Amino acid sequence: MSELRARVDAMRPEREGPTRTADPRPPDNFPGRGNYVPYIAFGLCGFLLFDVAFGILWSAQVLAQHDAAAWEAHLARFANPLWIVWHVFCLAALTWFALRFFGLFPKTQPNVKIGPFQRPSLAVIGGLLNVTFAVVTFIAVLVLGGGLL
Amino acid sequence: VKALLVRLEPIIWGLFGGGMMVAALLYPAYLLVFGVAGPMGVLSESALSYERMAALTGNPIGKLVLIAMIALPLWAGAHHVRHIFLDFGGLARDGLVGSLCYAVALVGSVVAILAVLAI
Repeated sequence: MSELRARVDAMRPEREGPTRTADPRPPDNFPGRGNYVPYIAFGLCGFLLFDVAFGILWSAQVLAQHDAAAWEAHLARFANPLWIVWHVFCLAALTWFALRFFGLFPKTQPNVKIGPFQRPSLAVIGGLLNVTFAVVTFIAVLVLGGGLL
Repeated sequence: VKALLVRLEPIIWGLFGGGMMVAALLYPAYLLVFGVAGPMGVLSESALSYERMAALTGNPIGKLVLIAMIALPLWAGAHHVRHIFLDFGGLARDGLVGSLCYAVALVGSVVAILAVLAI
């Protein structure tokens, strides 16, 4: 009995035709539903990073003037209620951003050995990151707020 | 431009990763103290005084932390903003948008280094 095999060109169309690939388009739920909402919100936090970084740069430039009065005037600006509301929003948004980042970070780690040790589980890595976040935030608040140093 | 961005990708990713970690660890504390507690009068008067802030940022470690707090998150922000534009606008303008985002981060980083060294 002879061996039956499919010919490699069995499905080739008789004539050349246009490629039938569909035009690229966003997924059906993009961007307003499902997991796309936190994904987009996480990306939009990039604008907040710009805002806060340039805010700190502004403060550094005022400090670089070596003028105590200019520094006091700079701080007084932040007492405006609109600034406080904006900073409360940034605080809430970037805290969520940080916790989401620490939630995503372990999933990016390859499952490899570190020297003779097996990589810790994702839950351990995530837990350590969250504990580090809490400790560093506590110490940074103490240092910046005058409770330490 | 697009080819240059691809070639610089490892450096950009390093700065982006560092910026994510610095911003995630330090920005909530900064915003809580400078943006909320200080202006609302929760802290002592001397906590945010010029003398104390100048002393904190006047030493090499303070300067290094301050430069990292400004420059690295600028690169993280640039990368996020670039990818938001990629998600909504596609690849067509990525060369222009990516270049603009990273240019903002680069100029901001240089200005930050100069400003902090002048403290």
